[in-house]
Amino acid sequence: MEERMTGLITDEEIRAAEGCMDVAERCGAQQVRVVLSKSTLDACSMLNGGLDKVSRSSDRSVMLYLFADGKYGTFSTNMVEAGELEKFVRQAVGTVKMLAEDRCRRLPEPERTEKGALTGRELGLYDPAYEHLDSEERHAAAQRECIFHKDDGIAGHGSDILSGRHQGVRIVSEELEYSDSVDDSLTMDSNGFKGRHTETSFAVCSEITVEAPDGRKYSGYWWDSSPFSSGLVREECSKTALERALSGIGPKRHRSGRFHMVVDRTVSSRLVSPLFSALNSASIQQETSFLKDSLGKKIFAEGLTIADMARSHGKPGARLFDSEGVKTCDMDIVRNGVVDTYFTNTYMSLKMGIAPTVEGVSRPVLLQYDGGHSGSLDAGEMMKLCGSGIYVTGFNGGNCNPATGNFSYGIEGFAFRNGKITHPVREMVITGDMISLWRSLVYAGSDARACTRWQIPTLCFENVDFSG
Amino acid sequence: MCGMNTRNFLDRFRVTVPKLEQLVRTALARGGDYSDLYFEYTVYQDLLLKDGEVASGGFHIDYGTGIRVLKGERTGYAYSESTEMPDMMAAAKAAAQIACSDSAASGPTYCSTKADQKSVMRSVNDFYPAAIDWHDRAVSDFIPVLKKLESMIFAKEKRTAKVIAKLSWSESEILMFNSFGEIACDFRPIGSMVVSAVFSENGQSENKTSSRSFRMGAEMITEAMLQEMAEEVVSGIDARFRAIRPKGGKMPVVMGAGASGILLHEAMGHAFEADFNRKGQSVFSGMMGRKICADNINIVDDGTLHGNRGACNYDDEGVPGQKTYMVKDGVLESYLHDRISARWYGVPPTGNGRRESFRFNPIPRMRATYMESGSASKDELIASVSKGIFVDEFSNGQVKIGEGDFTFYVKSGFLIENGRLTAPVKDINIIGNGPRALADIAGVGNDLLIDNGTWTCGKDQSVAVSCGIPTVLVRELVVGGQ
Repeated sequence: MEERMTGLITDEEIRAAEGCMDVAERCGAQQVRVVLSKSTLDACSMLNGGLDKVSRSSDRSVMLYLFADGKYGTFSTNMVEAGELEKFVRQAVGTVKMLAEDRCRRLPEPERTEKGALTGRELGLYDPAYEHLDSEERHAAAQRECIFHKDDGIAGHGSDILSGRHQGVRIVSEELEYSDSVDDSLTMDSNGFKGRHTETSFAVCSEITVEAPDGRKYSGYWWDSSPFSSGLVREECSKTALERALSGIGPKRHRSGRFHMVVDRTVSSRLVSPLFSALNSASIQQETSFLKDSLGKKIFAEGLTIADMARSHGKPGARLFDSEGVKTCDMDIVRNGVVDTYFTNTYMSLKMGIAPTVEGVSRPVLLQYDGGHSGSLDAGEMMKLCGSGIYVTGFNGGNCNPATGNFSYGIEGFAFRNGKITHPVREMVITGDMISLWRSLVYAGSDARACTRWQIPTLCFENVDFSG
Repeated sequence: MCGMNTRNFLDRFRVTVPKLEQLVRTALARGGDYSDLYFEYTVYQDLLLKDGEVASGGFHIDYGTGIRVLKGERTGYAYSESTEMPDMMAAAKAAAQIACSDSAASGPTYCSTKADQKSVMRSVNDFYPAAIDWHDRAVSDFIPVLKKLESMIFAKEKRTAKVIAKLSWSESEILMFNSFGEIACDFRPIGSMVVSAVFSENGQSENKTSSRSFRMGAEMITEAMLQEMAEEVVSGIDARFRAIRPKGGKMPVVMGAGASGILLHEAMGHAFEADFNRKGQSVFSGMMGRKICADNINIVDDGTLHGNRGACNYDDEGVPGQKTYMVKDGVLESYLHDRISARWYGVPPTGNGRRESFRFNPIPRMRATYMESGSASKDELIASVSKGIFVDEFSNGQVKIGEGDFTFYVKSGFLIENGRLTAPVKDINIIGNGPRALADIAGVGNDLLIDNGTWTCGKDQSVAVSCGIPTVLVRELVVGGQ
């Protein structure tokens, strides 16, 4: 029990962090932020049903943000003994004074900071069950989920699946990992802000590689995670990974053209990420945003609404304050295609002369858009509604130009016709620009995975440019 | 023993050889076959120029030791951020748990690299002597360097709107000890400069980046390097503004010398890493000794290039740095091994056991990966293509190890029409399959160029690498365009 608690910040460590602020101010820093972080992660990995690796990671660090004579620097160390810390702070203040002045660097105004994050557990993201796990239980948890038993080969679900239409397919390997962790961080600043965030996480992931009768290999991956041990969907992780590996067998080239694109919920966040980058004021100020001058304008399809639900109790990604200590709030990012928010931290606010918000997204939720279709909406439904197109289940390489929004991504997935999957496709890319793509949004599903911080469901776009 | 002063390293980590031996004994107490300790003290510093001023920077200290226990191919790993004996002993006991598993390991035992001296360059290596230690220079010394680079770019190109430049450097003191009683110590400097500029023309923006990274001291910063980087950032910006997305399809692709080597790293190099092959997951599993491409192709992973970002005096398992031919005269000659895979295959380790820091156990990783020069000239290779693409800048590559399928984003290049470079192209993807692309190489240029950019490989952990390639013609790849 005592050993388990090493993942949590102690009173002595808090006093040491407070001491950092005192030393920094005595050395001439006018403002200081200190972030004390501590974490422990245990993992147990299985290979083909046998134990492959056990690991234990315990980290602690002090991060120092110094504002001295209008100058700014960031510093960190994991040598947190008292003597070492004082030496570190003194060196840091000496270094920051060598930099150029930038009067826009300062701490956020106290009235903008969170006042209610005192214990770190206000959001209900800490599971006390974590304290009672031991290495034998982790090993048992990992072993239980394997479909490959080291003495008997494939067992349970694996053999069921392979005995069907996948005769002749061989499972090359099953790699499964169970892990759990606790992360505890305390942020303090010289304006009096103090905020703590503590969360546990439990995760299981599996990757299965199979070999088809023609010798080609295919991999499938699946995972689940939760802040709570009881919330982790452990069962069938490897079965799902195996099904995903098998589903990719026998890919065919597909003709180039413009098609409907259904993007699976497991990868759809890849298309949302460039939007958040472009909505960051730092990108706009540096002229590397394709969404500059878009605030308050209708840029995207009517069906696109993304809200940041930062304060969702017990949900992954939720947080009461951002990295500056600024209080988060539930807010719209895009509402019915209209850009509602730029992410603007204190520095960018002063530099650009615009109102500050928060420094980034916490738990974005892309709301369902059914285009008149009623009821729940997942990939299967969307394929039926579209008739034919490409169902994208993975991205393989590619990029989005942040300045122009032009993108080109390699994809993997399936062709579908009459609402049904016909065959896996290979060596295909999609190209376009982000604004046009999001204007062509037809449906947004209701099937975002509960385990993800970004709640992005299956999406459907029309008239997407595929080549292969 | 390494040539450096081992005593200084022992003092840095407040340990003695008897203490190291005690830790290893504890780590092996539950029946492990092999154990090693990896001590690290790293100081990383950076400076950032933005909007004309070097107004942010800092330093970051990382200190600790990783303790590994191997039982057969199984790994137990734990680390401590303190080198007080009770903390390290607790980590050793945690790592030792791997040996408690029910099944006994079989196969050969782990061997000292001293037994393999014929196949391993014994390390009197010093691939990265630092003439000027970074920590001997004041941070303020480097501020004018960044400002000069910025002014060079503005002077060269009037369409420059923004410049961001970052200089970072780190020095790591590494001490390794293993259950054979071997000690290795290494001082690892690395410096990196990255500059990115945004150019504006008629309301349109384009950005370009240049970077340099070397395992060197502060002597790496020269007027010539700054000039080179400034020139690289502004060159081709006209083409970038005019560039089009070509019509996609299957076509020949000529890959420019240097940075195109990232394709070699991603699409082939990873599939040669022995952990993927040991588990049967790689597309090259079971193909050792087989002909996989034309006779004139040699692919190397090299830890011996002086000052190179991928150079290793020792790898992170204490194995001396060396040069490994993965493909020799078109034949698959070696995988890239750490100690685990070397034992499994019954071969000496190749010095590829690398890790991001003491927080990670070592796994097979590349160093500097390149293809040796052939005989054709760049012009001959381009002239042989009637319709295709010439690529001079790749980024964001990804490969599927089992299938061998890869996709790479082309940041810039040109159409090839009737043997000549014509319209500039950008923002397209090239898709292919690693083994097929290798087999489809129709010509290798005589102009091998190692790219000294800030390449970082992200296989589970981030590790500094580099890559290179001569101009290479591949008969057919899929180009994703309009």
